[in-house]
Amino acid sequence: MNTALNYDTRREYDLTKDLQDLASWTGLRPAMPSETAREELLLRKLGPRGWGRVYHFRYFYSQGWSEDSRPPLSPRALDAFTRFLERITFPSGVLPSVFLTDASGLELSWEDRSGQSVQVEFRSESIEFYRAASGEEGEVSFEQLETLATRLSA
Amino acid sequence: MFMSVPPTENIVRAVCTDKWDGERLSPSLFTGRGTSVSRLAIVPLGDHWEMFRNHVERPPQRLLERIAEINVSTLQQIGAAYKDPIELTVEPKPEDWNPAHAEIPQNITRGLANQILPKLTLHSPTT
Repeated sequence: MNTALNYDTRREYDLTKDLQDLASWTGLRPAMPSETAREELLLRKLGPRGWGRVYHFRYFYSQGWSEDSRPPLSPRALDAFTRFLERITFPSGVLPSVFLTDASGLELSWEDRSGQSVQVEFRSESIEFYRAASGEEGEVSFEQLETLATRLSA
Repeated sequence: MFMSVPPTENIVRAVCTDKWDGERLSPSLFTGRGTSVSRLAIVPLGDHWEMFRNHVERPPQRLLERIAEINVSTLQQIGAAYKDPIELTVEPKPEDWNPAHAEIPQNITRGLANQILPKLTLHSPTT
């Protein structure tokens, strides 16, 4: 017999919006990849150039980067980016490009099997995508991340 | 009050490390509202390198990699021919650091930005 444990979910502190979990406090959620696992994933999916750029954006672009004094890379965007990479399959031999957006999110850009551009932008609140082959563009929530990765996989 | 930049002019935009990885150009270079550009009719291209470097290279690891150039008329034609047509304008907005500064006030979607990117002329550093 299973009995639900009655946890006290009150907190002694409040997290800023960027640090709040994607899932609700009381809900179940998948384990976060360890830092080592994340590095291996980035290297495997993005190659040394892409891995190096993510490292560069994480550790050098702190608060106040650029002429407009932008905030640092959003942890929520980075988390969504990592989870997307776990699920996406790129065409054989294709290494995507990684960019830091002006909204301090991350952007992936690659070509599908027909050589047409595919782009995904990870923001702190949502994900934007574009497929040149169909002209389709749109925005999805983090909950739809897996579905989007499946749709865009080679 | 300034008049819109005439279609005959060419405008440029700084391309930094975060938007260029040596192979691909980030489409987000031209997405969104209020895209900053600079007018070659006011400041020549050669003078833009040092002016941009002094302004955009923050942190020092963020380098000015390229300068992207496009004609205003070409930009407007791309907007008018897009599946969701939009009248793009370039509005002068001089700044202390750059008297040639201007903005594209309209919202440029990712799909439209993807039409603009292939029309850009990318200039490499002069030094």
